[in-house]
Amino acid sequence: METSRDDFVIAIRSAFLKKGTKQKFSLLGLIFFSLILMILSSFNFKALDYLRIGIKEIVYRASFIISIPENFVVSTSNRTHEYFNHYNDYQKIKKELALLKSKDLSKIIITLENTKLKKLIDDYFVSDKEIFAKVLIDKKSPFLRSIVLNKGSKNNIKLGMAVLDEIYLVGKVVEVNYLTSRVLLISDLNAKIPVTLEPDNIQAIMSGTGKQNGVLQYSKEDHVYKKNEDLLVFTSGAGALFKSGIPIGKIRKENILQNNEKIVEFYSDFSQLKYVKVVSYSKETIVVAESKEEIELLDDQIEEIERNKENLKVLLEQKKISEEIRIKIEDENKILKNKLIRLQNEMLIAKELIKKNEIQNKKIEYYELNQLYSNKCKKTFFNNLYMENTAEYKKCILNKGLIKKN
Amino acid sequence: MKIINKSQVIEFLYTYFPAILLFASVLNEFDFNYLGLKYFSFNFSYILIFYFSLKKPRSLGYGLIFISGLFNDVVTDTPIGVTSLSFLLICGFAAYLKNITLRPNLIKDWIFFLMTISVVKSISYIFLTLFFSFQTNYFEALINITFTFVLYLFFCYLFSLFERIIIGRSDA
Repeated sequence: METSRDDFVIAIRSAFLKKGTKQKFSLLGLIFFSLILMILSSFNFKALDYLRIGIKEIVYRASFIISIPENFVVSTSNRTHEYFNHYNDYQKIKKELALLKSKDLSKIIITLENTKLKKLIDDYFVSDKEIFAKVLIDKKSPFLRSIVLNKGSKNNIKLGMAVLDEIYLVGKVVEVNYLTSRVLLISDLNAKIPVTLEPDNIQAIMSGTGKQNGVLQYSKEDHVYKKNEDLLVFTSGAGALFKSGIPIGKIRKENILQNNEKIVEFYSDFSQLKYVKVVSYSKETIVVAESKEEIELLDDQIEEIERNKENLKVLLEQKKISEEIRIKIEDENKILKNKLIRLQNEMLIAKELIKKNEIQNKKIEYYELNQLYSNKCKKTFFNNLYMENTAEYKKCILNKGLIKKN
Repeated sequence: MKIINKSQVIEFLYTYFPAILLFASVLNEFDFNYLGLKYFSFNFSYILIFYFSLKKPRSLGYGLIFISGLFNDVVTDTPIGVTSLSFLLICGFAAYLKNITLRPNLIKDWIFFLMTISVVKSISYIFLTLFFSFQTNYFEALINITFTFVLYLFFCYLFSLFERIIIGRSDA
């Protein structure tokens, strides 16, 4: 027990007190010095502040230098990441651009097709002219529902023209005078309008009831019954009476009566009519011809766009190929540049070797001449020539003796 | 002109490598903080000082260790002398281990290193808390000690590898 304690003490003493070889300071001394520094710094000793400032000056400068490799590694890594991100972004944007381009082309094609189809639908009936008129008299006879307008043949009002309240159909012109005209409302018992019921596109004939609504005749009854929803009523355009698609009113599901009678509620309130629009629709063959031309034009445009799309694809492919070629050429260029640099280096080395050889040859020549002509140039007791290894001596040796003066 | 040959470079590296590394670690706070790992910190200086005080006491002078401690105090803004004391205590522990060891064993060194850093850190925290009223995060200190302890083996391997590469043999 005593021995082990002694060993411990000896080891401690040896560790802390014995100065090892090449150790200039004692460990214990330095520990004490550190403790003294700590104690002094706890008392805010002023000299320590100066010491701290001095060390700071060294540390900050040295830190900058020492951090260079780490900063370089970190910045390189960041830059590499950025480059990769840039590349990824570029690829993403490229894809998006291609997609958007194709979408744009598709959109143009769809728009043109839409225009073409619209033209096809609309070429049958085209609005010819529109005349606005004031309602003069509203005849409210139970047998005749009609209004009198303040426009007549003087204002190009013709028989059969449609009369609209805003966009809703209210009737048709049945009598034209020079300054006035009479309109038979669609609520009249004698008004028979070919209509379409939406959303199921059911064809029917609507008749007036002499009141503020109409009633459907000759409709596909079963089908209407099955649908448990309101039906919208438009002109069908059949019989070339009106343009198709003029809104009239709607049939509420509760208005479909037990005896299959379907009551049409008009959008327009006929008792409140003050101003109406008289419109005529007619078949216009010229327009049709024009439309055909336009359609052909549109077809051509579509074809051209398709062609452009194909060309774009081909160009993109070509671009890809040229990119690859460019990269290949760049690589080859790099290799050639490296070769050139290597050759230049080799040339420099060779030049240096030649220079060295030349110097060597000169030296050999000098030594050879020295052996032969040293007695002619060397200073001896008997002559007054040149000291060995001086510039004059060397000159004399190379001149194979003294220079003869003329 | 004096030509610098390969053996001189090797000798220079072999002699001054620990000192250069110690100052670099102290000035640069060599702890991989830039990796941004939340619970990762270790004290490379402790590993370096312990390893070289144990294996090659001649390569790291006490004076240099003392000065590096002062530098570390300035860098970390701790009171002057605290780190120097810690470093020198580690040297003392290593010297003691060297004196009592007849047959070196890496695992024993490793365990002793754990004890050393625990004691040294405790002493340093006692000083900082009692005399300088420093706030100490004990959890972070524990993590630091743990990683320093764990990474000792890895750095031992690296240092011995360096020696093998430089002088062709290792004493470790």
